[in-house]
Amino acid sequence: MEMELSTHEMDGGVTRVELDGRMDIAGAAAVDLKMNLIAGSAKKLLIDLQKVTFLGSMGLRSIVLPARAVHSRGGKVVLFAPTEMVESVLKASGIDSILPVHHDLAAAIAALQ
Amino acid sequence: MSSISCPVAAMPAEDVTKHASRLTLKSQLDDMASLWPWVEALIAQYAIPSDTAFAIHLCLEEAISNVIRHGYNGQPGETFTVDCASPNAHEVVFTIEDQAPPFDPVSGSLIEEQPATSPMDYLRPGGRGILLMRNFASRLTYQRLEGGNRLTISFVLPK
Repeated sequence: MEMELSTHEMDGGVTRVELDGRMDIAGAAAVDLKMNLIAGSAKKLLIDLQKVTFLGSMGLRSIVLPARAVHSRGGKVVLFAPTEMVESVLKASGIDSILPVHHDLAAAIAALQ
Repeated sequence: MSSISCPVAAMPAEDVTKHASRLTLKSQLDDMASLWPWVEALIAQYAIPSDTAFAIHLCLEEAISNVIRHGYNGQPGETFTVDCASPNAHEVVFTIEDQAPPFDPVSGSLIEEQPATSPMDYLRPGGRGILLMRNFASRLTYQRLEGGNRLTISFVLPK
């Protein structure tokens, strides 16, 4: 199944990006362009990972580069609801130290304000 | 197309876990599509739990893409092999052998180990794959072969 991406504009200027599928090399390639476009305008970006079943290093890159773009414009990025193994990748790579991981939606949104 | 040889089926039952299954891949990233059905079959064969299967996917994706992108420098036209064996009931071992120039992913020098001094440092785009392999594999071993490389990635299965 090809990686899928959908976006929703939420109250408070939060852009929620839902990723669905495997963030492997092919999955990363499938969403890179859309992620970069979103990162070009979003100021408060919530990346919803609850339907991401796999995250490899290229998938991480597809999260990190847009996050870097948002941060460079003074915006904020949070990661929402990764599975246990996806979160272990975030922790092992140290990404969680700069992109907060939340499992509660209200807390994730609050962290963006 | 990739080729698969799987002598396991011909082995006596008591030897099944000791013998290898081999996949031959081309030195191009799109050939990695044939890796996952092979890996999934092995995961089913050895009844590998989902967390270990995740770790296997992560390490093989990284190791094999490294062979293609760095070992062979993205040049198509070469082939290399991935073997899987289970030396005992609690371990699965993948061995990747290529004929590429020396490339040692186990070496610390390939990891961006400089400390992060700002948030942006943590958001470097690359340099995490080998770090992840070290975290998710039970053991990583590199051997320089005559005219090639051998990377062995072991996973201990939960008892």
